Amino acid sequence: MSNDTNILAALSDAMADAAEKAGAATLLVSARRRMPASGVAISPNLVLTAEHVVERDDDIRILLPNGSELGASLVGRDPGSDLALLRLERAAAVAAQAASRPARVGQIVLALGRPDSGGIQASLGVISAMGGPVRTGRGGLLEQYIRTDAIPYPGFSGGPLVDAEGRVVGINTSGLSRGASLTIQAELAWKVAETLKQHGRIRRGFLGVRSQPVEVSVTQQAALGREQASGLLLVGVERGSPADSGGLLVGDILVAINSQPVSDPDELLALLTGEVVGKPTPVQVLRGGQPATITVTIGERA
Amino acid sequence: MSRTLNPNELSDALASVAGRIRRSLAVVHNGRRGAGAGVVWRSDGLIVTNNHVIAHGKPRVTLDDGREYPARILAQDTEIDLALLHIEAKDLPAAPIADSRGLRVGQMVMAIGHPWGQRACLTTGIVSGLSQVETRGQRGSAPVIRSDVRLAPGNSGGPLINASGGVVGINTMIVGGDISLAIPSQLVEGFVQQALGELSGAPA
Repeated sequence: MSNDTNILAALSDAMADAAEKAGAATLLVSARRRMPASGVAISPNLVLTAEHVVERDDDIRILLPNGSELGASLVGRDPGSDLALLRLERAAAVAAQAASRPARVGQIVLALGRPDSGGIQASLGVISAMGGPVRTGRGGLLEQYIRTDAIPYPGFSGGPLVDAEGRVVGINTSGLSRGASLTIQAELAWKVAETLKQHGRIRRGFLGVRSQPVEVSVTQQAALGREQASGLLLVGVERGSPADSGGLLVGDILVAINSQPVSDPDELLALLTGEVVGKPTPVQVLRGGQPATITVTIGERA
Repeated sequence: MSRTLNPNELSDALASVAGRIRRSLAVVHNGRRGAGAGVVWRSDGLIVTNNHVIAHGKPRVTLDDGREYPARILAQDTEIDLALLHIEAKDLPAAPIADSRGLRVGQMVMAIGHPWGQRACLTTGIVSGLSQVETRGQRGSAPVIRSDVRLAPGNSGGPLINASGGVVGINTMIVGGDISLAIPSQLVEGFVQQALGELSGAPA
């Protein structure tokens, strides 16, 4: 080997090392009728995977890198972020390591998957873009996600996107944006896993209003005492809902929750987190042009 | 792990590997329309290509320096889609052959060939998987190298090389639009040696 290729060979070996390291924590998840998908062990007995590949709650089979097969049970699912957490029948997995730094556009990454018993599979790419926030249907809102040009081969959903040192940057899924692949950031994925482990589900707040964004006039902004170009006009209040019980009315313009300004429906959704469920929460509205603060006990989205 | 890395050094290394393998790359015409790629496997005129590249008509081989030769078909193996050709030339720049048995998923690979007729076009990627596929023939199955390098018609028969420039496989097939399959060099070498063994002693 000549000198000028040493650096290429070093890069090549480093990527193979990364694939091997993260591949040890990348498992085959068999929980649907079609081909199996992938999952990432986050502890010796907990596995993160994509929610959409877990079509059944029972008879979930996991194939470890060493070829042994074992059963797993469903801990919980979060359709909003397309993540599900599984518990292995015994602690037999090697846990993946999450990347400590946030992903950067241009960073070299590998997408990994284990869709069959033929060994780990990988594709190479870069972080192409950071996107978000995006609504994912069923009440989900992703604050941020990752796009990569690494090829998402069939069965890669639920598998990791890893950096050049084999640390997990995110979880790949084709279940969130009409079949196109995107990556849920590791930080969020680990957080979702922690919540699923504790509660079995991701709680999301529920208000019970239909709304549309409207302009907040200069006069109204003066009355609010801050610059805020738009708010949410309530065009419907569901009978018996937290909004109804709290006293919100059709015609109110919702401008803040918990002192956080709300100017579009995505911001409202982002503020209705699990933490506010069941808590008396100040909701600021413009009623008849004047600011008013109404306390609403936020409910939980079914 | 922290060390300084010069990106130009990386680019230069890639360019140098590409420049070297190019001299061992051939164009294989099938006598009718279309052409594939081939690899100078031995300096005494042995060229390896895919069988499907030469399946129709009399093959001709054009070397990187522009010399063109009619080729004789020494051996064909439809099961693993390989063909061994001979041209009347000596002292050719044979490609360095690497041992495919040492490959690991994630390692960098490069493909060079003539996609859509573009001469000596280089694409890069990694080893995506090392698996066994079913074949129609005596073997019943064969090892393949899956990679994410971009291939197109015209890459067939060309080399897949590693970061040191050694040939680890022969690019053979594209599956599902984005899975590139190569026949490992170990299997190719076995095919070549078997062909030469059967031919030895026979009249030229």
